[in-house]
Amino acid sequence: MKNTKSYTNNYLIKQLPTAIAFLNSDFELVQVSDKWIEDFEFNDKNIIGNTVFELFDNVGENWRKALEECLLGHHRSGQKSFVDSDFNERWFKWANVPWYDEDENIIGIIVRTEDITKKVEADMNFNKLESLVRAKSEIAKVGIWDYDIATNRLTWCNIAKTIYEVPADHEPTIDKTVAFYKNGYSRNTISMLVHNAMEHGSSFKRRMEIITHKGNPKWVMVAGKPIVTDNVITGLIGTVQDIDEQVQSELKTKENEKLLHILVNNLPLNVFVKDKDSRKVLVNKSECEHLGVNDPSEVIGKTDFDFYEKAVAQISRDEDIQVIKTLKPIIGKETISIRKDRKSTTFLTSKIPLLDTDGNAYGIIGLSMDITGLKEKENQLRDLINVTAIQNKKLINFAHIVSHDLRSHSANFSMLLNFLKEETDRDEKKRILGMLNRSSENLMVTLEDLNEVVDINTNVNLEKKPVNLNQLLKKILQNLQICFQDSQAKIINTIADDITVLSVPSYLESILLNLMSNAIKYRHPDRIPEIILSAKPEKEHTIFSIEDNGLGIDLKKYGEKLFGMYKTFHKHKDSRGIGLYITKNQIEAMGGNIFACSELNKGSTFKVYFKNETD
Amino acid sequence: MKQINCIYIVDDDPITVFGIKKMLGMVTDCNDIHTYENGKTALDSIIQRIKNGAQLPEVIFLDINMPIMDGWEFLAEFLNIETKEQIRINIISSSIDSADYEKWERYKQSTTHFIDYKEKPIFRIEPKDISLVNLAS
Repeated sequence: MKNTKSYTNNYLIKQLPTAIAFLNSDFELVQVSDKWIEDFEFNDKNIIGNTVFELFDNVGENWRKALEECLLGHHRSGQKSFVDSDFNERWFKWANVPWYDEDENIIGIIVRTEDITKKVEADMNFNKLESLVRAKSEIAKVGIWDYDIATNRLTWCNIAKTIYEVPADHEPTIDKTVAFYKNGYSRNTISMLVHNAMEHGSSFKRRMEIITHKGNPKWVMVAGKPIVTDNVITGLIGTVQDIDEQVQSELKTKENEKLLHILVNNLPLNVFVKDKDSRKVLVNKSECEHLGVNDPSEVIGKTDFDFYEKAVAQISRDEDIQVIKTLKPIIGKETISIRKDRKSTTFLTSKIPLLDTDGNAYGIIGLSMDITGLKEKENQLRDLINVTAIQNKKLINFAHIVSHDLRSHSANFSMLLNFLKEETDRDEKKRILGMLNRSSENLMVTLEDLNEVVDINTNVNLEKKPVNLNQLLKKILQNLQICFQDSQAKIINTIADDITVLSVPSYLESILLNLMSNAIKYRHPDRIPEIILSAKPEKEHTIFSIEDNGLGIDLKKYGEKLFGMYKTFHKHKDSRGIGLYITKNQIEAMGGNIFACSELNKGSTFKVYFKNETD
Repeated sequence: MKQINCIYIVDDDPITVFGIKKMLGMVTDCNDIHTYENGKTALDSIIQRIKNGAQLPEVIFLDINMPIMDGWEFLAEFLNIETKEQIRINIISSSIDSADYEKWERYKQSTTHFIDYKEKPIFRIEPKDISLVNLAS
């Protein structure tokens, strides 16, 4: 019976879902639940009949005492840890109660245990996390706030109080907090964000400016989100972070950046930064304009080869390599860049190496000043100087001619007068007088020649008008009729009837007459003169050309003197050496040019360039 | 009267030629005076004389500004010709261009002939102007 009963009881206890053990007064295990066996890992052992002190190595005096006290009728409970077979620490909550028989005698102890390892671990984790969060919020200057709608209570953590610079006993409210925000954007924003969070449950995170309790302006990052319980917003929780240092340095950086940007963009220079491979990393507005793009992004990452003629780009690349290699800057070098659309610009370029902390170049910074305009002005000035120099040379030349000519005449006069003074012979005197007379006539002719030259060179603003070439030539041929008849000259005129040249009519007549009569005057004695006249209108000039088969001139020998004054190259009774000089002066006075090509004994060709437009 | 066998006058101005001839008549009774209108004709004549083995002129009066071949061009050609005789060349010019003086200096240094430079007007030709004697002095 007792056996049956004990068996039934045994079986019942065995199945209990909690860990429970029955000990007799000798602390021997009498009955035990499977859960207890499982918790303490006695699965394969026959443990019934063993004392707990035999089963557990390290029960400890406290527990033994607690068990002994239990036999005296005292309930005892507590927590205890032990190390399991996997060397993990496990925590148990235990409760010992006396075991009574039907007669209320204590016959043993009922030991109930509960594995609380997980709970203990969770607690420990929680504590750890909490201290971590505190540490973190202290380092990051993140304060925490919490608002309960029902109680209208706002709480700040200590960090939050430090941020707002309020005393420790400050009791925050929503209204007081909003008042810390700087009037205007920040205050309006925080009011709206808090309102929206409470009304619509929207979270927020925003950068704003506050004025602290002590009156210091400060940038903060404020975040908040609603607490929702059973679909009702019951409060808000959030953080406030002191980000003043970051924002200040950010603002400072931005300010510097802006300053640099304005400076670089408004420099009257093309500024560019290139990397080691000559790819553009930065360009300013002037450089963009020069490259014909609207935005720097169209240039970044590209090289000069994308924008300039290949040869020009190669020169630039070579310079870059030189600067990067030698670390020596190129300063103020005159360069010409030709864009792919053939637009040419002259720059004064400097290239300076960009050095890293180890002193190696990782690119170059370039500064180019557009001096195209200056260059043009310089060229204009140079042209002007050239013109002036030529004029000056002409003037000196002319002065020499005048002084020489007048001197030679006056020398003749004084010589002849000296003869006359000392001459006694009547016939000889008469002869000398005749010579004096001739000398005076020669002087007059010379003066007329010189006067004509001066006239041409002073009347630079004579009115030019279109003159029909053929009509004028017809008139000249009539004047020269006798010459032409004498020489049986043959004239081949290929000039179209509608060709006109812009010129001073009297000059043109003089020029054509002189060239035509020269062609006859210096004809070859062995052949009938043949003169070919032609005219060709071109873009800027109309070119009149007269070709003869006459004596020709050795231009190698006399080329420089051909158009000089009083230079003659052939013996001829009418040669005075003034014709071509005047012709050249007249042509140049009209802004034109005359060129000659000739071969001795074959003939000469004179080409006259008449400008098509007045200046 | 100084005895001179042959004189050349190279000048295109008949009045100057007349003057030189007239003045020469006062210091020498040379019968062999030749005039040339430019350097080319004078040079051709000299070359002809050398070819023929004839005597060269002892004195040449030379103008600078002449057509076809001027005085300097004549000098340049003439000084290239090898001659046995020393010749006196009197340049007669109305030029006051300093470049002409410099040319004269240059030619003078580069030759064994005697080259003199006279500015117009001239009123008298002295015996020393047509002699080689004063070369040393």
